[in-house]
Amino acid sequence: MFKVSPLRKRQFFGIIIGLVVGVSLFFILTLDASEDYISLGPMNTGHNDLKCMACHADAKGNLMQQIQSNTAHAFGAREDGVDFGTSDVTVDNCLQCHDRPNDRHPNHRFSEPRFKDAIKNIDATTCITCHSEHHEERVTVASIDYCMNCHQDLEVENDPLDIDHKTLIAKEEWFTCIQCHDFHGNHKYEVATKLEDTIPMKVISEYFKGGEDPYGNDKKYIGLSMEAWLEQLDK
Amino acid sequence: MKSILKITILLTSIGILLTSCGGVPEEKVTASDNVFSVAEVLEMVATENDVTRTLYTKAIVGGGKKQGMKFDEDWRKDDVEAGPLPALFLRGVATSIKKSPVPLGLYLGSDFPINAANKFEGQQAELFEEIKENQEPKFFYDEEQKLHTAMFADLASAGACVTCHNDHPQTSKSDWKLGDVMGATTWQYPKDSLSYKETVAVLNSYAKGTVDIYLEYLDEIDNFKESEKPEIGEKWPADGNYLPTAEVFLDSVRKLASYETMKKLVAAN
Repeated sequence: MFKVSPLRKRQFFGIIIGLVVGVSLFFILTLDASEDYISLGPMNTGHNDLKCMACHADAKGNLMQQIQSNTAHAFGAREDGVDFGTSDVTVDNCLQCHDRPNDRHPNHRFSEPRFKDAIKNIDATTCITCHSEHHEERVTVASIDYCMNCHQDLEVENDPLDIDHKTLIAKEEWFTCIQCHDFHGNHKYEVATKLEDTIPMKVISEYFKGGEDPYGNDKKYIGLSMEAWLEQLDK
Repeated sequence: MKSILKITILLTSIGILLTSCGGVPEEKVTASDNVFSVAEVLEMVATENDVTRTLYTKAIVGGGKKQGMKFDEDWRKDDVEAGPLPALFLRGVATSIKKSPVPLGLYLGSDFPINAANKFEGQQAELFEEIKENQEPKFFYDEEQKLHTAMFADLASAGACVTCHNDHPQTSKSDWKLGDVMGATTWQYPKDSLSYKETVAVLNSYAKGTVDIYLEYLDEIDNFKESEKPEIGEKWPADGNYLPTAEVFLDSVRKLASYETMKKLVAAN
């Protein structure tokens, strides 16, 4: 057995303890069972079965390479830095499961210059503006009068509603839009023709918090499950 | 003295550790690799778009309508058995491009759109007024978005454009005629110049977009329950109740558009 100098004993034991704690933590924190403890908060409605890796993919390169690249970037020796640990979660991650050809408000449309002012109020170019993850809710947007940012000039031909859209807009009744229209347009349902028959705001709020779907369960596209997403990746 | 030496060795070791062996590989394109300006590339892809849209509008929508085929803005709805109108065809191409790794943006707008949400505002509206006068493209750098932007006139190139827009219940202008500037396509790209490889990627992403949306239309037809399904193959609606396959459609676009584009690509290579 090698000998440790009495003067170096503290350092030696410090290193051993550090290694044991470090390796144990690395092992424990990377277990599937530990995901709930590492997570920033409970997953949003419908995402309960997702593993961290569904959104948080490993960043390019190993940790040493990532440190080296970012150090080089910090000292100006490299143009761009790199993601550290895991890649940033982007709209593309969401769209891998939720991309729907019938989306009436797809994110990419709002990148056009004419929506510049609108996206200052509500950044519709990214999903997390309304669907911030780890909140155990379905919709996390601060206020649901967001239609006013683009639809001020709306006029509906042969308006089927008892109080026409023009009047509602003139009265700035922007909270009523969502009582008939689901934002992404994926539900198939009969829309009420009388304002009093529309979905009450209380029910909408509960739905946003994760409650029952007031627009019904008849949807054209269903988001992919974790298994279906993995299968798709294999293809 | 000894401690200074130790600290120097330690710092040097850390320095070497943090910089040696290279980091994550960097995809570098040097300035000399960039052979096209962004304006040239956007002009190339806009030309491809003109030809594609005209072919789709004339041969598929115009020709198809004569055979009884339907085209509708609600073509994706389950209870509507129809194909995409030309504007929605372009929207489909734009969506496909957005899904590709190519950072190209494509949008269609007008000062008299059917859908009020497609009305130009701000700088786009001002430039569109100039485009209407001389049909010349406009290029500008969007400072806020940090994107090079180009706008190209979108002309009423087929009878179907004029009749559909004039007769549409929600039209805001009903006296369109052939050759009018009905709107403009807006294209955006983040870099001021592109390499040969990046240019080909832009053109390919557009071509893939046309195939993607056309295939979606063919899928819709496959699910028709009540309407008569056209035969999909080599023939076009001008020959009867037929539609070309996506390959045949793309081949025709290439024959019509790619000669000019190819000349530019070959000259630069």
